[in-house]
Amino acid sequence: MINVDALTYTYPGNTEPTLKGLQFSIPRGSIFGFLGPSGAGKSTAQRILYKILPGFSGEVNVNGKPLADWGREYFAGIGVGFELPNHYLKLSGRENLDLFASMYEGVTIRDRDELFAMVDLQDAADKPVETYSKGMKMRLNFIRAIQHDPDILFFDEPTSGLDPINAGKINQHILDLRARGKTIFITTHNMNTADKLCDTVSFLADGEIKATDSPENLRKNYGKEAVRVTLESGESREFALPQLGFNEQFSDFLKQGTVRNIATLDASLDEVFIAVTGKSLQP
Amino acid sequence: MSRLLQLSVTDFKLIFREPSLRAFFILPFILFVVFLWFFPMLVDRYDFLQPYVPLILMVGVIENTQLFSFISSMVLIDEKESNVAVNYGIVPIGPNAFVFSRLILPYLITVALNLIFLAWQPFYDFPFGQELLLSVVVSLVVPVYVLALNALVDNRMKGMIYIKAFNMIVLVPLAAFFVPAAYRHLFGLLPTHWIFQGIQEMTEGQSGAMYLTIGLVYLALLLVVATKKFLAYHFR
Repeated sequence: MINVDALTYTYPGNTEPTLKGLQFSIPRGSIFGFLGPSGAGKSTAQRILYKILPGFSGEVNVNGKPLADWGREYFAGIGVGFELPNHYLKLSGRENLDLFASMYEGVTIRDRDELFAMVDLQDAADKPVETYSKGMKMRLNFIRAIQHDPDILFFDEPTSGLDPINAGKINQHILDLRARGKTIFITTHNMNTADKLCDTVSFLADGEIKATDSPENLRKNYGKEAVRVTLESGESREFALPQLGFNEQFSDFLKQGTVRNIATLDASLDEVFIAVTGKSLQP
Repeated sequence: MSRLLQLSVTDFKLIFREPSLRAFFILPFILFVVFLWFFPMLVDRYDFLQPYVPLILMVGVIENTQLFSFISSMVLIDEKESNVAVNYGIVPIGPNAFVFSRLILPYLITVALNLIFLAWQPFYDFPFGQELLLSVVVSLVVPVYVLALNALVDNRMKGMIYIKAFNMIVLVPLAAFFVPAAYRHLFGLLPTHWIFQGIQEMTEGQSGAMYLTIGLVYLALLLVVATKKFLAYHFR
């Protein structure tokens, strides 16, 4: 669905490229994530893909067609959830959605009330956006991106500014969209979001992709196939996972005292990111 | 067409819901009172003002363009500052259609205001064709002003500074009437110079068509350049 090869971009006035030869592909009906710290080039890559940033080099194909060959009809097939809320504050949530819905011709617009209910904004739909909290504005961002039911969705930090409950709901909606066959490209520096949502993630640092794989594989490859057992006494030992049930040392250790904790030694995506890039995900 | 109409309607909703912009709609009434009642009364009373009547007319038609030059500029600056503008970069509506829909109503309203102003002013009796040509040309100041300003600024603070500068720039060519004739066209770098020269000819009983045509072509070219600059800047 989306194929990118040797994508390089240098902002006007800069000498160093922000993106250096990126290569990735996103199959239809999957969630792909760019994971990286602020300034890594995640949003720049997305902006190129939603055709707001011209002047790149390399190949970008969407649905088998070079990005440059797509006309304005391209925008009927994509939806963008921006990192920061961007609405007309003097208009209501409904007026904001209506305005941007009117830009699409020949496209079925999803039921407005259903969309507001999806993100618990039904009571605020007719209130001016200036009365919304940041989280409410972010949820409005989300439903504006999906209201014309596009096949490709770009979300830049989709849970930024949301409380854990609403972040969880948005994550679930994104998974539901994938289940409906939508292709989704997420950029985030939140490893939990990437871990929960993405089929594939690419680690981006200094404008380069350092690794690409499923979150599960990345954690597995950079972690230990082992468990650490900690007893109430504070004594702690590691045991290999294979054949753990037949490991007599493991059984004996469990009998030595009260077990306080048993934890697998998978690496977190954060730890994998640091191991691969030498950089932290936190700004 | 409904898409374009929706944008125009939204602009007016935004203007009427923002007290600081809504208040500007009183400007035409103030201008009309000043230019159609107060100045004529002064000219009637004080003969020495008579030679300045063409200048009063020039300031009047230019000030009529300032209402939407300011209001539309502020709407677009606010859109840029709040990042709403970037949304228009990712919708199927074309950029030229976007510009057209945002500025066609302000332009047409300004044409209408100038037609009313020229019809009601008590100093000269211009043929309707002349009034229409003048209104059509001078009202082009609105889109050129709005697009040029919005190709330069991204927040209200900068916008206010540039607006003050632009407001002065449109009036600078009035100085051409106070310099030796050989030098007057040095002010031709500013498009309003040609409009003022056209008005001067009209007040002398001539058509003013040549100067107004130069003004029309010049403003049309500036409109093309300003549109390109604006489109390259506004949606990012």
